[in-house]
Amino acid sequence: MDRLIADTAERIFSDHVDRGVLDAAEHGEFPRALWDVVREAGLHLVGSPGSGTDGGDLCELLKVAGRHASPLPLAEVLMANSFLDEAGLTTIAVGGVAPWGRAADRVVTVEGEMSVDFDVAEDVNLAGESRDRVQMRNAHRVDLPGQLYERMALSRAALMVGALDRILAMAIDYATEREQFGRPIAKFQAVQHNLAILAGEVAAARCACDGAIMALGSPHLAVTVAAAKARVGEAAGVAAEIAHQVHGAMGFTHEHSLHHFTRRLWAWRDEYGRETHWQEQLGRRVAGGGADSVWEFLVGAG
Amino acid sequence: MFAGLLFEPTRLPDEAETLRAEVRDFVARELPPDYWPNSDFNEGHSPAFSRKLGERGWIGMTWPKRFGGGERTFFERYVVTEELLAAGAPVSAHWIADRQSGPLLLNYGTEDQCQRYLPRIARGECFFSIGMSEPNSGSDLASVRTRAMRVSDGWVVNGTKIWTTDAHRNHYIITLVRSEPPSQNRHAGLSQLLIDLRGEGVTVRPIKNLAGGEDFNEVVFEDCFVGDDDVVGEPGNGWTQVTSELGYERSGPERFLSAFRVLVEFVRAVGDEPSPGEAALIGRLAGHLMTLRRMSISVAGMLQKGGSPVVESALVKSLGNDFEKLLGELVRLQAPPGNVRLEKCLRQTLLHAPSFTLRGGTREILRGVIARGLGLR
Repeated sequence: MDRLIADTAERIFSDHVDRGVLDAAEHGEFPRALWDVVREAGLHLVGSPGSGTDGGDLCELLKVAGRHASPLPLAEVLMANSFLDEAGLTTIAVGGVAPWGRAADRVVTVEGEMSVDFDVAEDVNLAGESRDRVQMRNAHRVDLPGQLYERMALSRAALMVGALDRILAMAIDYATEREQFGRPIAKFQAVQHNLAILAGEVAAARCACDGAIMALGSPHLAVTVAAAKARVGEAAGVAAEIAHQVHGAMGFTHEHSLHHFTRRLWAWRDEYGRETHWQEQLGRRVAGGGADSVWEFLVGAG
Repeated sequence: MFAGLLFEPTRLPDEAETLRAEVRDFVARELPPDYWPNSDFNEGHSPAFSRKLGERGWIGMTWPKRFGGGERTFFERYVVTEELLAAGAPVSAHWIADRQSGPLLLNYGTEDQCQRYLPRIARGECFFSIGMSEPNSGSDLASVRTRAMRVSDGWVVNGTKIWTTDAHRNHYIITLVRSEPPSQNRHAGLSQLLIDLRGEGVTVRPIKNLAGGEDFNEVVFEDCFVGDDDVVGEPGNGWTQVTSELGYERSGPERFLSAFRVLVEFVRAVGDEPSPGEAALIGRLAGHLMTLRRMSISVAGMLQKGGSPVVESALVKSLGNDFEKLLGELVRLQAPPGNVRLEKCLRQTLLHAPSFTLRGGTREILRGVIARGLGLR
């Protein structure tokens, strides 16, 4: 990824995503100030035609957003801007549900309907992120890019990779600082082994996601996204469980910020197809090739 | 910015993919029609097959040509090894010599040692065992008690090594010995000696495993003389050398493909229209395999750049071994009854599964290595 984009994103999210913004967003308030800063920096156009950036950069930006639990509907905005002319805030609906439908100027559905005229019933996912029910009026058809559903699944995988990276860092920091029995709990073998498992899942998730990113624009996208969403989703469950165990009761409080990341992981692993959905998709393809081609299939997918 | 271990996304180069087709053709041609494939690297032992691989230049692939090597990349070696394992070819005879004994000699051996051993290894004629564990030294390797006493032109070795795979049919063993009395620094005073397994003062006794196999052994040294020209590296430098072997030992595809044939037979058993549950299981396992391959290829890239990815290798092995065990257990629960091929495969895997997370470093040792890499110890 363009180093400049990564650094800019890192700086903006570090400076502008704080506890106040996250709590306000959970109370239903769209993070307008953050959105303005993101637009001023041009980050909302990463991956769009003529921006000099591509789908890989888009995913790398989402990893940074996930690392900071950014409350913007960034995956939707970036994906929409990658195939539509930019016109304010465009969100993407799946199954009639769109992140920040209440604040959007325009809604596109993964089935290819678009409208600027829609009713909104506010709702949230289990992370408290806006997931509004939208009812479109005067919708018209738009040409979608191929495999939009798969690309959106990949966007969730990229967000999860960022959040996974963050909870690993938080768990390591906490275990190194928190003392019990006269020493940091990081010195206990049982804790070390849990953190090693956590690090393994985070590394695996990142590699699975990067595999799908490398397949963008190739015929292997569907297969690698299926593997990525399934594997990252599995990692999210294991990793969040360990991160909480390491943080003890402190991590179960609303005051501690761990839940901003773990609740998002629990929500995102279900969005755009949970693990079993993608496992089944992938499994059908593998089985369809026959037993003696299993290996060829796996290698061919890259 | 990133807290965990970095596995750079790495693509296999085109020449590696060209080689893949050659290996597939070769395997299809060389293995008899009634051959029962087993993707556990420890299981199939065939000096004849190893010699044929040597003729093709597929042993010692990354070594210099003057030592019989092919000067190929680590990516090409990766492709050959994964293709052989996936096909369940018999590779155990040359495996250890190719994977770690040869590279160890290249890194630390003398010109003379390289000349004497490497060309024979690369031809598939000379096989090595690992002389690390002892009856009272397993995971705590620095506590080895096999002694080497200095004599005028060499060393005299006394002690016992154990769990030595194929010592009864391999030619040499690179043996970790204590060459100086123990001191405050427990990693000091260790050396590696290259010993002829058929030589004087060496007794090999088989140990039967729970699956009925006899591929590992106890190796006893009684006043076994080793000349100065068979000391590997510097006397006293054994600990550094042994740990450097582990990057090679732990990251390869043999750490996640041991149970691969179970997946193949499961797919055969359920057919091309699996139930949702069967499809999801196949997909879950496939997703893990695709991911582990990426990680292992990324480590091959680190080796290609001359790196020493000890922590990354430990992580790949740890994830890979857990996956190998999971594969057998999950397929068992959904296996259609009465399928002879699948049943046979499953039995082999379930009986050997305990060794997956022991050999080459236990799960506990690996997690310790990873924890150190995370800065926790």
